[in-house]
This record gives sequence, structure tokens and C-alpha cells, in this order.
Amino acid sequence: MQWSTLFKKEMLENWHNKKWIWVPLVIILIAILDPISNYYLPQIIESVGGVPDGTVIELPEFTPAEVVMMSLGQFSSLGVLIIVLMSMGTIAGERKSGVSELILVKPVSFKNYITAKWAALLVIVWGSLFIGMLASWYYTNLLYGELSLTALLQIVFFYGLWFMLVISLSIFYNTLFKTPGLVAFLTIITIMLMSVITQVFAHVLEWSPNNLSSHIFEMLMTDSIPSDLIGSAIVTIAISIILVAASILTFKNKELAE
Amino acid sequence: MQEFFDAINWAVIAPVLVIQGILIIIAMIDWAKADNTNGPKWMWFFIIIFVNIFGPILYFIFGRSQR
Repeated sequence: MQWSTLFKKEMLENWHNKKWIWVPLVIILIAILDPISNYYLPQIIESVGGVPDGTVIELPEFTPAEVVMMSLGQFSSLGVLIIVLMSMGTIAGERKSGVSELILVKPVSFKNYITAKWAALLVIVWGSLFIGMLASWYYTNLLYGELSLTALLQIVFFYGLWFMLVISLSIFYNTLFKTPGLVAFLTIITIMLMSVITQVFAHVLEWSPNNLSSHIFEMLMTDSIPSDLIGSAIVTIAISIILVAASILTFKNKELAE
Repeated sequence: MQEFFDAINWAVIAPVLVIQGILIIIAMIDWAKADNTNGPKWMWFFIIIFVNIFGPILYFIFGRSQR
């Protein structure tokens, strides 16, 4: 009961600060950037000029799966950046301005406070990812070729797990530090470190969350869900749960210490 | 043939322009209602209007002050 009140408060707040409007729109832009620009690449090269007459520009024909991977590639960089910047102040900002004290003066459990925030962010991000991929899917079907709706839903679900991990990381740092900028910085550094570690120990870390998108590509190519994708998904979910649990613990200790 | 190509072209590009337009409008409404922003208010006006695509996003992330 208390949880749903807090959750509704978060949803309302995300509506007031316009996150519900700008995050989906920005994610759509990010998703359709590459499919469109790659489609018009020949025209762009032609209009820029500098190519001798009679030159035939041979550009690779992209398959729908490759186009989807372009969108996911942009999500991994720009999309993650947007999510981190959007979530950096969710708790840290409230603690700085003293709002969290107003809430926590009431008998609100730390667990409910943290998980309500986490869930509200998750709904925005998963919703935006769905809308963004829908836009990318529209362009893929329009410009490149058929991609099934089932494949799209699978992509949204599995890639959403990666975004879930990003949110969990951000929430975790939010409970540790009061400065939103520091939270964003540390979240991004951690994600970069994870990707370096995954690359260095590639042969043992087949189930690393960072491999989610390459496993998704495999799924699109083979038209079946590879076991490595399931493995990565489970690892990602597990890490997220651990991070949220750790957030609740650190937040409890911090608040009680103050 | 040329006309046909132009028609396709617009169907592809228009959504991008529409999304950018919505972002600018929403950012401007929020900006007009805001009592104060992080940094001078007039500065954000120019950022929202003149910085392509990223202007409104920058405003939403950095410009809005907490309450």
C-alpha cells in the first residue's frame, strides 16, 4: 500500500518534470538516427561532392538485423548517457535539497522508498525503449526489409535488461553520494570498466551483461534464442537485484548515521 | 520519378522534424513557467532555440532547477 503511494508520487513527479515527454522523444531520435542516415548515405556523399565523375559508390546492403543493431549501438552510447543523466539526481538531488528528509520523517521504509524510485525509472526507460524501437522498426520495414514483431518484442525485452542494470547502478551511486554529477560520472566509469573487463576476459565472461547486444544479434541471425542470451539475461537480473539490495542497505546506514 | 523520390524523402524526414519541434515547444513552455533556472534564464532561451536537437535536452537535464 505504502509502496504504491510512493510509486504514484514518483510517476507524478516524472510527469511534472517532463521526463515522460522528453525521454521517449530523445530515445526515438537516437533510435532512428542511424537507420535514416545510412539509408541516405549515397545521396549525402553525392551532395557533398569531391567524388570524380563515373565513380560508382558500392555501399553494403544492410539486412534488417544489422539495422536494428545500429539502433542498439547508439543506445549503448547515447542512450546510456541520457539515462544516466536523467537518473543522476533522483535520490542525490532530493537529499541535497532536503526533500528526502521530508519524506523519510514519516514512517516510510527505506526499502519502499528506493524500490519505488527504481521501478518508476524502470517504467520510463522500458517504455521509451519500446517506443524508440517501434520507431526504428517502422524505418527498418520502410527502408530495408521485413523484421517480425516477435523479434522486436524480444529485442526490447532483452535490451531493456541492460538499461535496467544501468538504472540499478545509478540508484546505487545515488545512495552513496549526494552530488548528482559525481553519481553520473561514477556510473559511466563503472559501465566502461565493465566493458573493458568483458573484452579482456572474453572467453570466460560469455554471460557478461555487456554481451547482451551481441547475443541479441545472434538471436536475430539464427532466429532462435541462444542459451548465452538467457545466461546473460539471468546474470544481468541478478546483478541488478544485488545492486538494489545494496542500495537499500547503504541508504539505511547513511540516513541513520546522519 | 523525381517527384516520387521527393515524396518518400519527406515521409522519412518529417517525423524527425516533428519530434524536434515538440521538444523545443515543451522546453519553451517549461522555461516560460520556471521561476528560476540553473544559470541565467535568458541564456537557456538561446540554448533551447538555437542549439539543434541537443538544446532542449540540455535544458531538461541541466537547466531545470530542483523545485
